[in-house]
Amino acid sequence: MSALRRITVIVGYEWRRALAKKSVLALIILAVAVQTLILTLYSQFTAGTMFLTEEVKPFMWILGVLQGQGLFVQLIAIIIAGSTMSEEYEHGTADILLSKPVTRVEYLSGKFLGGFSLLVLVEALTTGVGVILASWFFGPQNSLQYVPLMFLAIVYSTLIFFCLSFMFSEAFRRSTLAVLIALAILIASSIISQLLAWLYITTSEYLYFYLSRGIPTWGSNYFPSLLMRELMIIPSTAFLNLINDPLIPIEAAKRGVSEAILVREALQQAAITIAVYAIVFILIAVYRLLKSDVTKKTA
Amino acid sequence: MASHSVIMVSNLTKYYGKFKALDSVSFAVDKGWVYGCLGPNGAGKTTTIRILLGLLRPDQGEVQLAGINPARDPVNALQLVGYAPELPTLQTFFTGEQLLDFMGKVFGLSAQARKERIWQLLDLVGLKEWGKKKIGTYSKGMVQRLSVALALVNDPMVLIMDEPTIGMDPEATAHFRSLFTNLSKEGKTIFISSHLLDEVQRICTHVGMINKGKIVFTGSIEQVLEAFTQQWVVEAELERVTETIVSSLKKLDFVEDVKVEGNKLMIALKEKKDVRGEISSEIFRQKGVLLSLNLHKITLEDAYLRALKGGQ
Repeated sequence: MSALRRITVIVGYEWRRALAKKSVLALIILAVAVQTLILTLYSQFTAGTMFLTEEVKPFMWILGVLQGQGLFVQLIAIIIAGSTMSEEYEHGTADILLSKPVTRVEYLSGKFLGGFSLLVLVEALTTGVGVILASWFFGPQNSLQYVPLMFLAIVYSTLIFFCLSFMFSEAFRRSTLAVLIALAILIASSIISQLLAWLYITTSEYLYFYLSRGIPTWGSNYFPSLLMRELMIIPSTAFLNLINDPLIPIEAAKRGVSEAILVREALQQAAITIAVYAIVFILIAVYRLLKSDVTKKTA
Repeated sequence: MASHSVIMVSNLTKYYGKFKALDSVSFAVDKGWVYGCLGPNGAGKTTTIRILLGLLRPDQGEVQLAGINPARDPVNALQLVGYAPELPTLQTFFTGEQLLDFMGKVFGLSAQARKERIWQLLDLVGLKEWGKKKIGTYSKGMVQRLSVALALVNDPMVLIMDEPTIGMDPEATAHFRSLFTNLSKEGKTIFISSHLLDEVQRICTHVGMINKGKIVFTGSIEQVLEAFTQQWVVEAELERVTETIVSSLKKLDFVEDVKVEGNKLMIALKEKKDVRGEISSEIFRQKGVLLSLNLHKITLEDAYLRALKGGQ
């Protein structure tokens, strides 16, 4: 049997394992419910304001898709990845799996791809729901040909926290610890990113600007919206400010360049940041699995 | 060490922090042997098994399964192995049938082969009625049975089992002991770690005794019994024990001592020699009525306890 086939078998196993967990299913339902609630509230409370002009209504699918990508999808990513490796040690099933004819790298690859492909399905669901809800509440939508690209951007942007939680799952071999630490980093990273942006605005010190872009949440939060700006022209600054990096207009004014140039620059930086973080986290997880013993049941 | 050994363990040393769990352990298991690994808790039995399966990395030494190191080439080494862990925790979200099917896939069995094998194995371990039920609803003994079925899914050349009958009822225990004996007759090599000395003596052809991370004895059951036998004892049950019989037996030149326990005589011999004929003749000569006469060499339990004390 080929390595690819063995990985595929473990991917199938991982799907069954993750879907058997009620907490994952509950979070998926909650994510869709919150997405529906936000769009309902937005349609009710912003009607007639600068946030919901007639010009912007055909682009509301962007909000529908991107707000789903925010907290809940990151949370689902952390919860799925946080238990992927560690639960097998906690339940003692890692022994059963790793005493079978699979290499550790195949096992880890299968677990990673299984968990991540499940997350991709959740993201496909929230993206689809976002587009449907936007059409429902705000009428016909424009530029829908970019939905697949936006979906891929969302998938790519969730890699950071998925890989971070996956790494902790293998490093600590405790699901609760892995999820809590990854969540703490997500929250701390958001706060620090805002703080650094504020320090840059008040001091004009570029160190803060670059530091804020090195924070994991910057790449994961803004990569899809930066791509959206690269692809489309949205006819409302107010609407854009809801989902965009606030430093771009400030920086454009300061440097006297167009926002489009800065968006392209930021898009590249976000793509690199996500790739670097994801690769480093995965390499640490691989190193840990290859170099250490398979621990016995821990829970 | 024989090059045709199915399991070969050479100079294995393993530390957990500063604790030396295995200290230069070496032994070999040939094809068709049922090898019992005996030792007290913490002796290093499970550590040895986990190294054999590539789950732990030894600090020194090497293991080979059919000439393949499982740490370097787990795919080819573990393809030949079936493993049943001690008190296993299986994936409770699967049914017994689904878990066997998944394991069959891991071993690369075709859909047709899996279909045939799964129900055959469930029947073999007495779980046919439970195949379609979630493992979460199984009792401990049933999980243990399923674990043995899982170990057999790939029709392995080597079976490694850690305390395989723990948690099973007496009927199941007897069934599985007979299953292991039959599997060994089919040419499978079986490595069993067990605390149940009676079980090991019944089903194993060879034993390895391990204590404090060191192998204290390895050999066939006959060799171990011979090596650790200090004295043979003949147990004679009489209708009535008389002083004349006891004193006449004591005078025999091959008798070391005679102890009276009710209507039984425990006759300790000077040499490891079967002298039941001479003893029965002497009892008849003294007008005794003999009900039974048994020669006690030594049990595996006695040998094991002596081995752990370091004496032979």
